[in-house]
Amino acid sequence: MRLESRHWVFLGLFLVILLSMLLQIDLGVKVSQDTQRMHDYIENLPPGSVLMLSFDHEASSLPEIRPLALAVLRHAFANGHKLIGVALLAEGTGIGYRLMEQVGKEYGKVYGEDYAFLGFKPQYIAAMLSMGESIRQTFPEDYLGRPYDDLPMLAGITNYEQVDGVISIADGSLTTHWVEYAGNQYGVRVSAAVAAAMVTTYDPYLASGQMHAMIGGLRGAAEYEQLIHRGGSGLRGMLAQTAAHVYVILMIIAGNVVYFLNRKKGRKR
Amino acid sequence: MDIGTIVAGILTLAILTFLYRDNPIYKMAESILIGVAIGYILVITWTNSLMALLFKPLFGAGEGWLLVPLLLGLMMFGRLFKKTSLLSRIPIGVLIGSGAGVAIPAMLEARTLRQLSATVSPVIADGSLDISMLVILVGVLSTLIYFYFSREQVGWWGKTAKLGTYFLMIFFGTTFGYTVMSRMSTFIGRMEFLLTDFLRIIN
Repeated sequence: MRLESRHWVFLGLFLVILLSMLLQIDLGVKVSQDTQRMHDYIENLPPGSVLMLSFDHEASSLPEIRPLALAVLRHAFANGHKLIGVALLAEGTGIGYRLMEQVGKEYGKVYGEDYAFLGFKPQYIAAMLSMGESIRQTFPEDYLGRPYDDLPMLAGITNYEQVDGVISIADGSLTTHWVEYAGNQYGVRVSAAVAAAMVTTYDPYLASGQMHAMIGGLRGAAEYEQLIHRGGSGLRGMLAQTAAHVYVILMIIAGNVVYFLNRKKGRKR
Repeated sequence: MDIGTIVAGILTLAILTFLYRDNPIYKMAESILIGVAIGYILVITWTNSLMALLFKPLFGAGEGWLLVPLLLGLMMFGRLFKKTSLLSRIPIGVLIGSGAGVAIPAMLEARTLRQLSATVSPVIADGSLDISMLVILVGVLSTLIYFYFSREQVGWWGKTAKLGTYFLMIFFGTTFGYTVMSRMSTFIGRMEFLLTDFLRIIN
């Protein structure tokens, strides 16, 4: 077994994260304006408001998406909002249902009365436009195969006009389509909880007012957990995240130093 | 510990072995991931889409018009055989035509017109200078000049284009930083799972 330099770098990162997690120190975080805006949005909605949560992500991004989704779900349930879950990427279907069921149980919510999960529809643009006309026609049955009309909380909900906001929980570009088709065409308020890699993609939509609010990445989750006074993977992961970033910065500096030293040696020869 | 946690823990460790080098254990875990994902997508599409939106209403409620999308869908399979491959062009044409018709106005509005409108907001509002708006305006103009290739980038034009490249570099750096943060979060999430649920080292 021969270890190369990259193996040592990986091993170093592994040890840094492992030690940070074993220490279990709560660093606390400074809440950003974007996260505060998202929190205030859900907080200020009257109890009983209808929010649609769209699980637009793949299973591979679950470690990052889960803390975000849990924080938003907990806040929405705690404020007595009615939640409709959908998935426009197939892999988000089972995950979305499980998360809603888990948090629903925590807050004593009843499926069908306080929340419902409608499942997956392919062709996300067609699904978004179709829900603007009729959610019932788009999802004649929920994820569990129950007819739409058998779910009491969905009585009176025809299309986006009865939905107070859509929150896209995404790891890719689907939130853009929510803005384009549901937000701009049907006037529903679109917000997002996204993987950190997508934050710069959605910032322009937030700045131009096309998107109402956004939280991003594990840091966004940590800030939100702090705001709702409910610790979770976000806050727990902050020390590890900080330590990992410091480690990466040190590696970049070390890499540059080695590069310039080698270049200097080469010139001398 | 439930069987799901044990399987997830073993597969996570199997995937992490790739950090040393490509190996059969990693390949096995990768193949399982792809197989399970495709199987899951097929089942979900069948139950949530084909059954709920097509077969049940067509054969259960007698909604005859659904024969049209069914027929178009079947024509897609024409590609499998040389003699019938022309048939698939019809549903593809419908998809492209309707897709473009729906997408072009929506994208033009969201990605161009509204963004443009936000960019040209007043730099001086209520008698005071809005620094953020000024940075956005300068950034947009200088970046656009950088991508204007019909004029040689020399003199003040070239200097403005150069400024545009700095804005681009800041954007690439920010995006890369966020991506690193995203990948670290994923790794931290898996480590948390391994240490708490699988190995139960921490609470």
